[in-house]
Amino acid sequence: MYPVEEKQGFSVVCLHGEVDLSNSPEARRTILNCLKKLRHVMVDLSAVEYIDSSGVASLVEGFQYARSNNLEFGLIGVSEAAMGVLRLARLDQVFHIYPSLDDRLGNGSRG
Amino acid sequence: MAAGVERHNGPQRLIEGVGRRFVAGVEEFGYGGTLLVESLFWLLLGRWFRQPVRLPAVAEEMMSIGVRAIPVLVILAFANGAMMAMQGIYTLRDFGAESHVVPGIAMSVVREFGVLIAGIVVAGRSGSAIAARIGTMQMAQEVDALRVMGISPVRYLVAPVLAAMLLMMPALTVLANCLAIVGGGVFSVMELHIGWVTYFDRVLAVLSSDDIAQGMIKSLVFGVLITLVATANGFSASGGAEGLGRATTRSVVLCISAIVVADMIFTFFLSR
Amino acid sequence: MSVNTQQQGSPVVEVRNLVTYYGTRKILDDISMNVCEGEIMVIMGGSGSGKSTLLRYMLGLHRPDEGEVRLFGRDISRLGGREWQEVRRRIGVAFQGGALFNSMTVGENVRLPLREHTRLDENTMRIMSRMKLEVVNLSGFEHLMPAQLSGGMVKRAALARALVMDPEILFFDEPSAGLDPVVAADLDKLILRIRDATRVAIVVVTHELESAFEIADRITVLDRGRILMIGTVDEVRNSDNARVRNLLSRTSEDIEVDAEDYLQRLTEGAD
Ligand SMILES: Nc1ncnc2c1ncn2[C@@H]1O[C@H](COP(=O)(O)OP(=O)(O)O)[C@@H](O)[C@H]1O
Ligand SMILES: [Mg+2]
Repeated sequence: MYPVEEKQGFSVVCLHGEVDLSNSPEARRTILNCLKKLRHVMVDLSAVEYIDSSGVASLVEGFQYARSNNLEFGLIGVSEAAMGVLRLARLDQVFHIYPSLDDRLGNGSRG
Repeated sequence: MAAGVERHNGPQRLIEGVGRRFVAGVEEFGYGGTLLVESLFWLLLGRWFRQPVRLPAVAEEMMSIGVRAIPVLVILAFANGAMMAMQGIYTLRDFGAESHVVPGIAMSVVREFGVLIAGIVVAGRSGSAIAARIGTMQMAQEVDALRVMGISPVRYLVAPVLAAMLLMMPALTVLANCLAIVGGGVFSVMELHIGWVTYFDRVLAVLSSDDIAQGMIKSLVFGVLITLVATANGFSASGGAEGLGRATTRSVVLCISAIVVADMIFTFFLSR
Repeated sequence: MSVNTQQQGSPVVEVRNLVTYYGTRKILDDISMNVCEGEIMVIMGGSGSGKSTLLRYMLGLHRPDEGEVRLFGRDISRLGGREWQEVRRRIGVAFQGGALFNSMTVGENVRLPLREHTRLDENTMRIMSRMKLEVVNLSGFEHLMPAQLSGGMVKRAALARALVMDPEILFFDEPSAGLDPVVAADLDKLILRIRDATRVAIVVVTHELESAFEIADRITVLDRGRILMIGTVDEVRNSDNARVRNLLSRTSEDIEVDAEDYLQRLTEGAD
């Protein structure tokens, strides 16, 4: 089970370790559960050592679900390894990516 | 390379050739055996290993092996029944034994010809089609691709065919039996001046469940033989379009030979 | 590119003294080589030099007559069924002709490994396969049948299928063969992009010099079933080995004739 923290109106899902075929279904479930409770979601990837395409696909599903329900969905603390995988599929141009939650809040108050 | 001396020795070469053929033949038999065992394994235990045989594939095979064979089968079985009636009536009339024609037709159709016709139709249609399909895949490295993906080619390509054969061959045999008997009936009813009811009464009077079971068992064996011969020939295809043609031809010829020989062996043991 | 070859990771493919035959004909003779983590190793050589054969042995499609092949440190001819399955999930292969299954759409082809090996949600599998089609620039071609694709598209679809399980080693047979130079160059760039993003080790078989020099970290030069040399792009370019030079300048060298052997070849099997 991935930990979820409630911060400033967001559910922050902390993925960690290796997110691969064996545990990406768990990540998917956690993310979708938060969204189904109509929470805005930030996925914290800072503790992720490796994320494979099934993990990224779970993020895509979450993002799609959030968009169709007018919720916010973003990624924070994306490591270089995870960024490479996102960049390969050009998803870095699709996701809302922030260095940290504070940056998102800072951006939000300004925008 | 060191065989320079023997090379010119006629008889020895003949023996060598025969020996090599024999070994190749035994190898092929063994290969067929492993295909059978492996297919049965996947059919029975695949689900347990989380690698089930795909049911849509089985359904598709049932269509192409069984359902699409029906038109040809109908014509052949009907014609065959009619021919048996004609031959039987004309030959037995000379002996004044015309009344034995109907039981004769019934017995030989149900024990022998129904299943043989079904077998030959399936061998002719699917024996070539399956060998061609697998042969094409083999040459396009699709079989290798399955293997490196960790998908057993036997589970993926052979097991659905085997399942479809085991289901469709008995069904086709029943159909062939019925149509051959109807075909024989058309002529018998006219020539022997009996009614359809009498005809079917006489047919049913001689048939035992043993006879029918015999036909069913044979149909299963034929299905297995056609599967193994066709798939084995497909997997061993090589050498471009020409090689593919050779493999498919060989497959049909061997399929038909295999079922005829198997039928003979069956008849020898079961008719005693 | 040759800079980072000094600090190689641990080897993921190891070939040790491999000797192979087709029938009685020796095809590969005493092949030893390594491929390391995150490295692009190009196996280069003329047509018929045994490149594809070497690849097939690396994939465990045949059992070595002598020597051994190790993937991830394990001798593949000694692996049991389950262990083999584990290893195979960690490699991806794009065959020379693509080897896409003709009865399935491109999308189904790409999803096949997922469907067979994972219990992921259908939706997740669809997204994963589409992501890989995006990577190889085939988005929107998901519903086409392989027969409707051009040569370059077939290769890219095959690449997408090879990548769909996020392999640690990618094998690619003749990526540029039969393609026009522009398409071939695109494919080379794609290979580099994939390596940089995922640190996957890539083994490429090719007879195209340009392509080899473009993408390789190291090159294994194969000639008539033997290794002529293994080295970085610069080392191969600057090699003073006559055979290598011949291969590079593409002059067909005068083939030395062994009279006995030659006569044997011409007359073998005749009565
Ligand atoms: N299935 C086979 N049966 C017999 N010989 C083969 C077979 N495949 C390849 N060969 C032979 O092995 C040699 C090497 O082939 P291959 O590995 O395909 O070369 P390359 O990929 O470098 O062009 C060639 O001489 C070829 O004739
Ligand atoms: Mg080749």
